[in-house]
Amino acid sequence: MKRTLLFALGGLLLGGIIHIAVVFMVPYYANRDAWAQMDTFGPDDEFHVLPLPEAGAEPLTSLDPRMLHAVCRFSLSNGPVRITAAMPDEFWSIAIFDRRGRNVYALNDRSAERTRLDLAIITPVQMAQLRQDPPESLETAIVIELPLGEGFALLRAFVPDETKLGEATSALRTADCAGSL
Amino acid sequence: MRLLIDIAVAILVATILGFSTAWVAVEHGRIFGAVTVGPWTAWPNAGGPDADPYSVALLARSGEVPLGADEGLAFTATTDSEGAPLSGNCGYRVSGQTPQARLWTLTAYDAAGRLMANAARRAGFHSREILRRADGSLNITVSPEVEPGDWLPIARVEGFQLVLRLYDTPLTTATEFVDIDMPRIDREQCG
Repeated sequence: MKRTLLFALGGLLLGGIIHIAVVFMVPYYANRDAWAQMDTFGPDDEFHVLPLPEAGAEPLTSLDPRMLHAVCRFSLSNGPVRITAAMPDEFWSIAIFDRRGRNVYALNDRSAERTRLDLAIITPVQMAQLRQDPPESLETAIVIELPLGEGFALLRAFVPDETKLGEATSALRTADCAGSL
Repeated sequence: MRLLIDIAVAILVATILGFSTAWVAVEHGRIFGAVTVGPWTAWPNAGGPDADPYSVALLARSGEVPLGADEGLAFTATTDSEGAPLSGNCGYRVSGQTPQARLWTLTAYDAAGRLMANAARRAGFHSREILRRADGSLNITVSPEVEPGDWLPIARVEGFQLVLRLYDTPLTTATEFVDIDMPRIDREQCG
């Protein structure tokens, strides 16, 4: 009896370990995460304007159908990434995500205080190198330090009604996530 | 022999227990950090850099792209204000005040989080296109049947959810969620 109880306890403990391990492993085996869904949009290192989400044709899970979105997958392993765009007067925001889809940085139009979006994403190591000789072009940019390998940027632009769709689309088409400063 | 059987049973139990509880937890997801106001629930930290492992697993499984802290906060309702699950066979009235935000959108999704096809080609409303009552409150009818006024059509599905996204709201930096006004969801008629 005592022995069975001991084994039950051991089983419970092992079950707990398996539970934790499985939960931590899930992101590494998920094949429908945001990053994977972006495979179909086109090459990395450039923004892709997504069609407005509609029933049966949602480019990504649970997007707001009143927003026009553009995404860019990037990698910081070859150097910093510069994100620029001429944004409309309506509400817009940009969010940076890591490879696992966790939001690591976000900015809206009001806190940006400008319609010309100019962001430089730099790893702490690259930042240390840049401090030696900061390039002049960086002076106009919002510089953010993120310890990222791969990640993606998502731009959201509010579309109040269909007449503003063209404006929002052409604004998001100006978006660029070049790999140079 | 007895020992081997005991070990085998323990391992079997552990494996079943571990996998099943992990599956349930990840399917349900979002165990920690929920903020609930009436029928509305938000997870302010679920998509952030400090997200707990369950939220990260859920993010990976759903492929959802969460709102960042400086972008806004999304509240989801799967029940009405009485606590009964939202059903596509019923009509609902969403009324009352919304928390302070520069802009909000109200969107209807099916139980799986997909937009629902409807003849009116409307998936939601935003704060600048609704009719308001004299006191500024909103009054939106969510129903599978055509309704006068602000009508948010839904499909006749078993369950659905409403998502209220508040853009550029001070709530994202709030440490406490007390005394915030969220709209009521009241069931009207079913059939």
